[in-house]
Amino acid sequence: MNTVEETIEVAVPVRTAYNQWTQFEGFPRFSRVVKRIGQLTPSVTAWVVGVGPLRKEFEAEIVEQIPESHVAWRSLDHSPWHEGEVEFRALAQDRTAITVRMRIRRRGAAGVLTAVPGAAGRVVRQELACFKEFIEGLGEAGGGWRGTIRKGHVRPGEPERSKSQVPTWPVG
Amino acid sequence: MKSPSDEPKDGLTVTPPKKWAAGVPAVVHALEYSLQQTSPRKTAVDLLTMNQVDGTDCPGCAWADPAPGHRNRNEYCENGAKHINDEATGKRVTEDFFRAHPVSDLAGRSDMWLNQQGRLTRPMVKRPDSDHYEPISWHDALNLLAEELRALDTPDEAVFYTSGRVSNEAAFVLQLFARAFGTNNLPDCSNMCHESSGYALHETLGTGKGTVSLNDLHHADLIFVVGQNPGTNHPRQLSALEEAKLNGARIIAVNTLPEAGLLRFKNPQKARGLVGQGVEIADRFLHIRAGGDLALFQGLNRLLLEAEDERPGQVLDHDFIGANTSGFEEFAEHARQISWDDVITATGLTREEIEEVGADVLRSERVIVCWAMGVTQHKHGVPTIREIVNFLMLRGNLGRAGAGACPVRGHSNVQGDRTMGVWEQMPDAFLDALQREFGFDPPRAHGLDSVNAIRAMGEGRIKVFLGVAGNFVRAAPDSAVTEEAMRTCRLTAHISTKLNRSHTVCGRTALILPTLGRTERDVQSGGEQFVTVENSMSEVHTSRGRLKPASKLLLSEVAILCRLARRTLDGRVDLPWQEFETDYGAIRDRIARIVPGLHDLNRRVTRPGGIRLPNPVNEGVFPTAVGKALFTRNAWEMPEVPEGHLLLQTLRSHDQWNTVPYTANDRYRGIHGSRRVVLVNPEDLAELGLRAGQQVDLVGVWRDAAERRAEGFEVVAYPTSRGSAAAYYPETQVLVPLDSVADISNQPTSKAVLVRLQRTV
Repeated sequence: MNTVEETIEVAVPVRTAYNQWTQFEGFPRFSRVVKRIGQLTPSVTAWVVGVGPLRKEFEAEIVEQIPESHVAWRSLDHSPWHEGEVEFRALAQDRTAITVRMRIRRRGAAGVLTAVPGAAGRVVRQELACFKEFIEGLGEAGGGWRGTIRKGHVRPGEPERSKSQVPTWPVG
Repeated sequence: MKSPSDEPKDGLTVTPPKKWAAGVPAVVHALEYSLQQTSPRKTAVDLLTMNQVDGTDCPGCAWADPAPGHRNRNEYCENGAKHINDEATGKRVTEDFFRAHPVSDLAGRSDMWLNQQGRLTRPMVKRPDSDHYEPISWHDALNLLAEELRALDTPDEAVFYTSGRVSNEAAFVLQLFARAFGTNNLPDCSNMCHESSGYALHETLGTGKGTVSLNDLHHADLIFVVGQNPGTNHPRQLSALEEAKLNGARIIAVNTLPEAGLLRFKNPQKARGLVGQGVEIADRFLHIRAGGDLALFQGLNRLLLEAEDERPGQVLDHDFIGANTSGFEEFAEHARQISWDDVITATGLTREEIEEVGADVLRSERVIVCWAMGVTQHKHGVPTIREIVNFLMLRGNLGRAGAGACPVRGHSNVQGDRTMGVWEQMPDAFLDALQREFGFDPPRAHGLDSVNAIRAMGEGRIKVFLGVAGNFVRAAPDSAVTEEAMRTCRLTAHISTKLNRSHTVCGRTALILPTLGRTERDVQSGGEQFVTVENSMSEVHTSRGRLKPASKLLLSEVAILCRLARRTLDGRVDLPWQEFETDYGAIRDRIARIVPGLHDLNRRVTRPGGIRLPNPVNEGVFPTAVGKALFTRNAWEMPEVPEGHLLLQTLRSHDQWNTVPYTANDRYRGIHGSRRVVLVNPEDLAELGLRAGQQVDLVGVWRDAAERRAEGFEVVAYPTSRGSAAAYYPETQVLVPLDSVADISNQPTSKAVLVRLQRTV
């Protein structure tokens, strides 16, 4: 098991940092390793990550998500190969500390890569730096979801309704 | 009802039931049947485009496809391959055929024989007082139907039936036409398969659809498979169950029959499935009594509540219950009073068996319950599904990854047809949207479902019946009553690909309107068209045919309906039928403006994989009247079976698609050469003084005085659960009383038919 903890300060308000971070499908805009993310439901995301020609696909469940506080996830396996949380802390009105804590089990090809001493930490550090450059350059978030997730259950932000209205009449 | 003259009678052989499904035999049987029906080239085109991103959606079942990029090159099952090549058959039903076979002759033929005659090639009419179908042009056929409709005293004297093969586009056009004409008489095959699911889920969760995706199944810890037979009816579900097992899930199968697909699966897509032992599917098999599922979940719910009493705060998901549900306290008080004696009596299981399942549940973080018609087709089908929802909610197994409710639907677009508004009780919001979009005032009074349509026909209140796909006469219950009702109509018309009994049991005038199959190219004056469908997991995607149509004279379902609508409504309601027929994209533009969630349909549906309609439950939204999911109190109930009687369930064989048997074999159950068999537990046989091999009549027992009899069945000793018997559908539909329906949903109770076995004299 690899444990990684990295923190970075970004010069935007905590709400801006949180809102942008939780626009998961936008990660490839700044990330070096995230190639694609699909938000399947508010609590489930499908990731494609990779370095060079290598690719790894996985789904992750967001188990906790509290606005301006934290997002906790785990990969969707019976024995999760990674899990962690991203914490947002307001340092000042326009300064936010973002901390990523991650636990990675050494399993498969991804496990081999993360077994290289310091490799996982280096990747997380680089990714945080990319996000800092991105959000400080924009100065504002490109969207925001204000709902919460606890133990994998979604609670929409008030007075938000279902993201997309769908037929609800009985289906035989 | 006697067996048709062409059915094999003396060829029955019985071998032990199989203990595993699929593997090499599935591939061999699929190819064998396909190549009997059509050429190697067509077989290859069909199979290699089936369920591919830009290919043909298999009409065989509504199971979801894996995500684009994750599909097998051969993404189909044995039954799908058989079905699609049954449609691609090289055999044709010609004018000569109808000259040689009067309707009275066809009415004595078996379902299998009728299907084997091949594809219908041109419109045919049976005139009043004639015993023959004769050719008619499309122009005259549609004029005849339109004139009959226009001559009705009220539009409510017409019924428009939809079967689940119908595309979204055709279904939308059909309901638009029916409502513009002035009636909500839109029965569909849903009325007979999952209506109980729709009612129960809509009431408790505020949405009528299942909450899980294929990925949820892969990620679940514990999956219940209740009252369904995936090995025969949804074989690709076995791949999902296999993956779940390989990921570490446990599976509990609950069934009256130890179906092969529930026990072990040899995945023919994988080397391990072709040469190895396969994967054991069910970790536990609960050999439940028919109709015992309500009691089983009541027993499990009581166990969960008692476990919470012992370990407060550690068993139930109080956060979920508190934030998202209503009625927990009343439910819990009721559930604690369920008697173990009642649970054991209704299920036929031991308390220890149920407690072991309870322990599995407590060990599992993510639980899914799948069910099908073994649950829905009971008098208490709706309460049973409500109890399943209670069960899921107690531990928060709803609205999160790897957990939820999974009604497994059969017909490939049965869910989509309902999404398109084919329902006799559509809510005002939908009708208001139709009114805004098209400028006519849709009727607001509820129409007739399938059972009520048959009643109305029987009472002479229906003059015209139009069936779009399917085989209504055989799918409907109480065959003799249904057939008599159909014969009272002034005109019956069916839009069909192949001959079936609904063409032979007809009104004074009858029309056969032959249509394109899903595998065939659909070229309109606006160019080549595709259609869209929605699977059981709410994914809306395209389907394109690749084969040359079986006849130059076939029209698509959309074209037939548009031409009929234009003729019928001419001068009354002005709608762009010609535009719809020319370019189905014009229909999708209108769907996008009327059906919630399908905005921008034309653009989004052509993306690989199509559109996944979100389920509000997975977004933490419960669109019930109170805005929360509802716990319900469901009274204990089980079917009453007096001494000397059995509870018969109708079921399909492995070599069968809906009402169409392909052969007289059912190899997983070890039945070969005859379908007129009744499967009975050996101990029940001994009690009834019967033995295997005897000929019996199945005699229905119901509160009315009518005699319902299915004659000449051979008794087979089979490991059904005690008190339960099984025989094939649709031959035993004659035994299902029209009035024997599920409470609330009005769905025929085809899994709970009280019968006695009478030795054939």
